[in-house]
Amino acid sequence: MIPITLTVNGRRVEATVEPRTHLADFLREQQRLTGTHLGCEQGVCGACTILLDGVPARACLAFAVACDGAEIRTVEGFDGDPLMARLREAFSAEHALQCGFCTPGMLISAYDLIRRLPEADEARIRRELSGNLCRCTGYVGIVAAVQRVLAEVPKAATAPSPAAEASPSARADTPLWGKIKTALGAKPKA
Amino acid sequence: MQAHGKPGTGIGARLRRKEDARFLAGKGNYVSDIAMPGLMDVAFLRSPVAHARIRAVTAPAGAEDRVFRAEDLGGVKPMQAQSGIPGYRASDYPILATGKVRFVGEALAMCLGRNRAEAEDLAGEVTLDLEELPPVVDMLAARRAGAPLVHEHWGDNLFLTTAVDGRIDEVARTAPVVVKREYRMARQCMSPLEGKGVLAYWDDRHGQLVVVTSTQVPHIIRTGLAECLGLEQRLIRVIAPDVGGGFGYKCVLQPEEVAVAWLAMKRRHPVRWIEDRREHLTAGANARQHHYLVTAYADRRGKLLGLDAEVSVDVGAYSVWPFTACLEAAQAGGNLPGPYVVPAYRCKTYSIATNKPPFCPYRGVARPGVCFAIELTIDAIARAVGREPAEVRAENLVPASAMPYNNITNKHYDSGDYPKSLRMAMEAIDFAGIRARQRRGEADGRRIGIGFSTYTEQSAHGTKVFASWGIPIVPGYEQATVRLTPDGGLEIRVGTQSIGQGLETTLAQVASEILTIDPARINVVHGDTALTPYSTGAYASRSMVMAGGAVSRSSTVLAGRIARIGAHLMQCRTEEVRLAEGRVFGPAGDVSLEEIAKVWYLRPDQLPEDVDLGGLEATVGYRPKVDTGAFSYATHAAVVAVDPETGVTQILDYVIVEDCGTLVNPMIVEGQAFGGAAQGIGTALYEESSYDEAGQPLASTLIDYLLPGTTEVPAMRMQHIETPSPYTEHGIKGVGEGGAIAPPAAIVNAINDALAPLGAELGETPATPRRVLAAILAASERQAAE
Repeated sequence: MIPITLTVNGRRVEATVEPRTHLADFLREQQRLTGTHLGCEQGVCGACTILLDGVPARACLAFAVACDGAEIRTVEGFDGDPLMARLREAFSAEHALQCGFCTPGMLISAYDLIRRLPEADEARIRRELSGNLCRCTGYVGIVAAVQRVLAEVPKAATAPSPAAEASPSARADTPLWGKIKTALGAKPKA
Repeated sequence: MQAHGKPGTGIGARLRRKEDARFLAGKGNYVSDIAMPGLMDVAFLRSPVAHARIRAVTAPAGAEDRVFRAEDLGGVKPMQAQSGIPGYRASDYPILATGKVRFVGEALAMCLGRNRAEAEDLAGEVTLDLEELPPVVDMLAARRAGAPLVHEHWGDNLFLTTAVDGRIDEVARTAPVVVKREYRMARQCMSPLEGKGVLAYWDDRHGQLVVVTSTQVPHIIRTGLAECLGLEQRLIRVIAPDVGGGFGYKCVLQPEEVAVAWLAMKRRHPVRWIEDRREHLTAGANARQHHYLVTAYADRRGKLLGLDAEVSVDVGAYSVWPFTACLEAAQAGGNLPGPYVVPAYRCKTYSIATNKPPFCPYRGVARPGVCFAIELTIDAIARAVGREPAEVRAENLVPASAMPYNNITNKHYDSGDYPKSLRMAMEAIDFAGIRARQRRGEADGRRIGIGFSTYTEQSAHGTKVFASWGIPIVPGYEQATVRLTPDGGLEIRVGTQSIGQGLETTLAQVASEILTIDPARINVVHGDTALTPYSTGAYASRSMVMAGGAVSRSSTVLAGRIARIGAHLMQCRTEEVRLAEGRVFGPAGDVSLEEIAKVWYLRPDQLPEDVDLGGLEATVGYRPKVDTGAFSYATHAAVVAVDPETGVTQILDYVIVEDCGTLVNPMIVEGQAFGGAAQGIGTALYEESSYDEAGQPLASTLIDYLLPGTTEVPAMRMQHIETPSPYTEHGIKGVGEGGAIAPPAAIVNAINDALAPLGAELGETPATPRRVLAAILAASERQAAE
């Protein structure tokens, strides 16, 4: 068992983990944050997508030990976030979810996409969300929900807020962290 | 496109879903989310080979009390789905492999650990001594004499052979046009994003085994568990929490459910099994694989004169409980004529045992296969007579003037205008414009094609239909309970299951239509055998018709009781009052439902003397006026671009025109159609559980088994026709499965349309680049030889 310290949804967490425990199991079983779902445990389906130091990553491909010192944000960590509130509203209005299993990962990928690519058109939205599988909706509502938010939110509002900039998640990547995140399969920032 | 929907909160309103908030917050509660003190995990050791005699399964020393083999499950009976169809052979489907293993992935031992990782470690230490046998992998080979036998004592590999023996010889002799085709659909894996999961524990207080399982059918799981475990049903409580998609995979009793339930009784602490994706893709590859030989007879205009077919279904090793190994073939034989006037019909079906996982009824059940076969045949006839496929299709469809129409297999098509759905789809997809574009050609060398597919979907099959399929669980009257709470809110209790299709919203809309209560003040309670009336559950596109009808009937009874108390409080006659806006209005005033509820529950001194003692709670059973199901129908239209150099197909446009009767919530109907169509696109182009000659599954990850994503599924459009069923409450017809039925046919018809100038034609799913290129190559070789 290896001790780790990390930040989960703004809360400092100290824990001991087995080397083989992946981040999603750690979040779900040890932290009881069950909103991060496991659909394939192979990095394909995207249901376990979380923000790792502000960047979308597959929690099933990250080992918890490798996240020592990292800041993790899961679907449960967006209370009071105005952009996520708008996305949730749009997901409901556009019927972007049915069984709800892909929804947390889909929301996090969509959140990241809106902040990075406020000008994204439908084709770009589809390309950006291609790493998140949904078996229920046929994606029609999901794409429409992202388009709705992009249309209604002034670009300034989607940019990272000063508060977010000041948070550890926005800190400059150290070379080591860059390597680890690449190894973990985190998407590079566009 | 103008959003379709009525104002208000009742039937027809485009209401947002009540269930969304918890899912959007990440607060859905699926089986794997449940924590309990003392909970342990199970991993199943699964067969690495397709066919073998079991010599020994040996636990590592010191772990004998944590490894459970078939011989350890004393008293547990195998699942046996008997069928009433004569000649059917039931297979014992053992909970853990017994005597032989019959497919890769069949569970051989159950291993217990403090967590899944430890349980898997233990499974890795169990020793297997297996005597390998030659497997039978290809269903057509399995029919031949001398093939290895999945169940030796049968003497062959046939669960069932059926025949619809129509008189076709005269037509065969005289028909001017004869079209013969062979079609195949690949084996598939349903792949709900949440796999199967089951957690069980013994509840000492109630003296009950509690089984929490990701299922579409909690009540019949209880019945099945009781049979296998030899328990009285009152001793079992089945709870289905949030279910992350079902699609048919979760509508049967699974051996793991029985094994985990047994273990919880034995160990008296909570245990769970959470299926992982590899288990699902290998042991759960259990759908869609059909083979067709079709001979169609037509006149020179392409009008169908007769249809002669042979259908083979690769059922796998065992018969699932309760839907049996022959549901698929029975539906195929009955549904192959589709929405067409077929004057003569003969069909033989074979339900074939192979060394593959046991077949389950996947969304659309047989109809994606029969739709593929008949729709490709219609296009082939059109090409044979040199006419436009859409015109030949239109001329063969059952016309609106013939409704209601009994077809040649005695399906009672209740209502609607099938040709209109085709015309609307042609217009919406700009048929003329696409034909013009094809004549111009594409700058990039790709070939454009347009394809159509029209189908009927018998939804909410009635009691007699199920009885004719011979399955052991036949649904009858669906019940719902409605209960006014003391503060004027409403609880609805149903035994069917919401698995993502939005029943918590749509059933509330049905009650709101009658009781005028805001759906925000209505709770739908489902997913618990202890809390809900018996239902056979959510499958066969039956919930909205059946549970919707039951909610409507019970709400109507409750409305009458509310009116009686309201009239008494206003000192008027019951006939003088009406319900509106959650209140009872009389000639000279009104009272709220809250006031009425308060009187019944808290101030009974104010009740009328002749008050109905049923109170403000009603349970009513419902069954449609006919037993032949409610027939939805639709036309799907696809435009594709096929690259003849690479064989890659891209869907450029996709339109659905559907009539599912009265739309309870157009937004949810569209979601069902689009989601079903996305699965159908997977069937058409991407998804395939292929096997090698040894019976080894070749698609065991989502990198080999391709689920369509945002870049594969196009922006789809939908239009509605709304022809209420004459036989169901509110005219509702089922809609859950339909979307998945038509896409393979529409898309492959479009590919064939694109390839027609090359003389190439495909008859197999998925239409992968390799298969497209093979068809082009075969055509060019054929032409070179001529």
